[in-house]
Amino acid sequence: MTENTSTPARELISDAPPPEYTRFTLSDRLQHIVMLVSFITLAITGLAQKYALSPISLSIIQFWGGVEKVRATHHTAAIVLMLIAVYHVINLGYKLFVLRKPMTMLPSLQDARDALTAFAYNLGLRKTGAQMGRYTFEEKAEYWALVWGILIMGVTGFIMWNPIATVRFLPGQFIPAAKVAHGAEAVLAVLAIIVWHMYGVHLRKFNKSMWTGKLTEQEMLHEHPLELADIKAGMAGSPTDPAALRRRRLIYYPIAALLGGAMLFAVYGFVNGEQTAITTVPPQPNAVAIFVPYTPTPLPPTPTPIPPTPTVPPSPTAELASGTTASTSAAPAVTWAQVGPIFAAKCAMCHGPALATNGLNLSTYADAMKGAQDGPVIVPSDSANSKLFQIQSKGGHPGQLSADELAIIKAWIDSGAVER
Amino acid sequence: MSHKLSMQLRVASIALGSALLVAAALAMASPARAAYVAQPPTADKPTNEYCLSCHSKQGMVKELPSGETLSLTIDQEKFDHSVHNEEKLACVDCHTNITSFPHPSFEANTVRDVSLQLYQSCQNCHAEQYNKVLDSVHQKALAGGNFNAAVCTDCHNPHQQTRLTDKQTGKLLPDARLKIPQTCARCHSTIYDTYKGSVHGAALVESGNQDVPTCIDCHGVHNIQNPTDAAFRNDIPQLCAKCHTDPQIMGKYGISTNVLNTYVSDFHGTTVTLFQQVSPGTPTNKPVCTDCHGVHDISKVDNPATGIAIKQNLLPKCQRCHPTVTTDNFTDAWMSHYVASPTHFPLVYYVNMFYKFFIPAVIGGMLLFVIVDVYGRIRRSRKGAQH
Repeated sequence: MTENTSTPARELISDAPPPEYTRFTLSDRLQHIVMLVSFITLAITGLAQKYALSPISLSIIQFWGGVEKVRATHHTAAIVLMLIAVYHVINLGYKLFVLRKPMTMLPSLQDARDALTAFAYNLGLRKTGAQMGRYTFEEKAEYWALVWGILIMGVTGFIMWNPIATVRFLPGQFIPAAKVAHGAEAVLAVLAIIVWHMYGVHLRKFNKSMWTGKLTEQEMLHEHPLELADIKAGMAGSPTDPAALRRRRLIYYPIAALLGGAMLFAVYGFVNGEQTAITTVPPQPNAVAIFVPYTPTPLPPTPTPIPPTPTVPPSPTAELASGTTASTSAAPAVTWAQVGPIFAAKCAMCHGPALATNGLNLSTYADAMKGAQDGPVIVPSDSANSKLFQIQSKGGHPGQLSADELAIIKAWIDSGAVER
Repeated sequence: MSHKLSMQLRVASIALGSALLVAAALAMASPARAAYVAQPPTADKPTNEYCLSCHSKQGMVKELPSGETLSLTIDQEKFDHSVHNEEKLACVDCHTNITSFPHPSFEANTVRDVSLQLYQSCQNCHAEQYNKVLDSVHQKALAGGNFNAAVCTDCHNPHQQTRLTDKQTGKLLPDARLKIPQTCARCHSTIYDTYKGSVHGAALVESGNQDVPTCIDCHGVHNIQNPTDAAFRNDIPQLCAKCHTDPQIMGKYGISTNVLNTYVSDFHGTTVTLFQQVSPGTPTNKPVCTDCHGVHDISKVDNPATGIAIKQNLLPKCQRCHPTVTTDNFTDAWMSHYVASPTHFPLVYYVNMFYKFFIPAVIGGMLLFVIVDVYGRIRRSRKGAQH
C-alpha cells in the first residue's frame, strides 16, 4: 500500500510517511469487483444476443457453446448483480442509520454548478476549477446512472424472464417493448462505461483507489479538496458513542434482516417465478402417417392367368399300375396332362389366350389342336410334319423347349396327341 | 421355311434402320445436357422393336413365387412418348443382362424384388442423381430393411417418364412441376390430401400456379432428407424465406417480404437462426415457421377458421410450448411479423424512439464533457510550460 506514496509531491514531504486517506472500505471494493465481473459478463453475453448475427457475436456464441449457454451465463450474472444490489442496499442502510454517515452521494444543485464551473474552467472562461467534496459530480453521475440502469434492467429483465406473469397484469406488447428497452439500456450502459468511467478513472489519471482503498493527500487535494478540508477540520468520521452505536445496531439488524429477506425472496421469485415454456425439445409436430400408398392399380385383366389349368400329371406308379392291369395297347403313355404344363410354362407368354401370337393359343387342348391362323401346328401321330415340332426342333425359337421337353412333345404327338 | 426367312429379314432390316436412326440422332444431339447417349445397336444387341414385338402385347404376365403377377407388358404408346425413347435408348441399355430370346432366368420373389434389382441400372446414365439418392432418407430406410422405400423407378417409371427438365436450361418444365405432388402421393397419400387443402397445394392443384412450392421445393429432390431432423428443422426459416423474401413472387400476392427479418429479430427467430448457424444439428425448442403456420396444411393467415392472424387461432399455437398461458394477451408478446409503428405495437415503437434520442443525448453530453476536459488539460499544460 505504500508504493503509492513513493514519489510524493515536494511540498508535502516530511519525515513521517505521507498521510493516506481511506476512500473505499474493503466492503466497497468487494462490491465493485463483484459488480465489475457481473457487468462485463452481462455486457458480453447480452450484446452477443442483441447483435446475434454479427460475426463477433457468432464467434462469442460459438466459443460459449451455443446461445442457450450464453443465456444461462447471462442469467447467472444477472442473479449475482441482483444479490450484490441487495447487499448494497443493506450496507447503505447500515452506513446511514447506524454509522450516521452523511448522504454524500445525493445529487444537489451544487453538482450542477460544479459541472458548469468545470466546463467553463476547461474552456478557459474561469480562472479556477470546481472545488468538490467526497463525491464529485462526475462520480455522482456515474453512481446514479448505475442505479437507473439496474432498475430499468431489473424491470425489463423481469418482464422477459417472466412473460406469462407479466401478461396477467400488462398488455402483451410490454414484452417486446421490454426487450427493446433492455437492449437499448445495455448499449447506453456500456457506452457510458467506456466514455465516462474509462476516461474519468483510467485515462485522465489512473485512479487505483477502488483497488487499494487509499488516496494520497495530494490526490485528495486535487480531487476532493472539500472533503480533505472537512477531514482536517475534524468534521468527518467523528467518533460515535459506542453505546449509541450498539443501540442503533440492535434496531437496524432486525430491520435489515426483514428487508434483506424480502429482497432475497423477490430475487428468488424473479428467477423461479414461472416455467415459461415446456422443455420438450423441439415442439413435436402433429404425427402424420408417412407411408400410405395408394392402392396399386390392378393389372389389366388377363383372361387366364398362368398356369391355366393346374392339372396334376398322373404319378408314374399309377401309370405303371394302370399299364399292368389294363391292356397294354390302350391308355397312351403321354397325354395333354403332361404337355399342357410344358406349353403353359414355356409358350403361354406369347401363345397364351391373351396374345395368341400368329393365332396360336396353346393354353387348352382344343385351342392347341386348332392351330395357328395359317393352319394346324400339330398333326397327330406325325411329329415330323407338325409345325410346332419342326420349329422347336430347329432351336432358337423364343421360349425354346429343352431336349427332354421336346422328347415328351414328340412322344405325345406320335402317340396320337390325345387329350386324355 | 419361307416364313422363317422373312422373319429374319424383317428383324435385320429393323436393326439396320434403327442403327441409322440412332446414328443420325447422335450426330444432331447436343451431348452437353444429355444424361446418356445411346450406343448404336450392334448385331448381338436386339432393337426395341424386336423386344416390343412381344412386350407390347397386352396381358403379358409372369407369376412370381410370391403369387404376385408381374406385368411384362410395355405400353407402347406411353413408351413412344417417353424421354428414353426420345433419346433413342435401347431396352437392353437398361436390361443389360438380356441379349436375346430366351431370356436368362430371373430370380425374384415379389414384384418389389424386381424393382429393387432393376433400378440399379439407372446409375449407368444418371450417376449424379443416383449418388444423391444414396444420401436420401429413402435409401437410408431401404438400407434399414424397409423395402417400401422409394427407388428411382417408383417416381420415374422408366418406360413412361416424359421429359422433366428443359434440355437447354435444365429447368423444370411447367407440366412436370404440376405432376410432382401426385408422384409423391403414390406413397404419401395422406400428406398429399392435406397438401391439396393448403394454400400452396390448392393453388397448384386447382389453378396450376407455378409460384407455389411443390414437395421438392421444400424437401429437395433425390437427396431428400429426414424432415424431422434437427438440421432440417433449424433450416426451415431459410427454406420458407427463399420464396417469402422474394419481392417478385410476393408482390403478386401482396404478401410482406419482411417475414424473415421480423422473425429473426424476435427472440424465437434469433435463437433458431443461431442454432442454424452455430450448431445446425442440435435441436432447439424455439418455434420455426411451421410450428405456427402448419406444415402441409398451411392456410392463409386471415382464414377465419385456421388463420393465425386471429388471436384465438394463434393462442393454441403459443400454448403448445407455453401451456400455462391462459390469456390471448400473451399472443402480443410476439409481434406477428409487424415492424413496430404508431399503429402496430406503439409501445415498442415509442420505447425504441425514446432510446434513439436518449442514448445520443446522454453519450453525446458525456463526450462533450470529456472533450472539453481534454482540451482544458492540454490548454493548461501548455500555459504551464510557457510560464
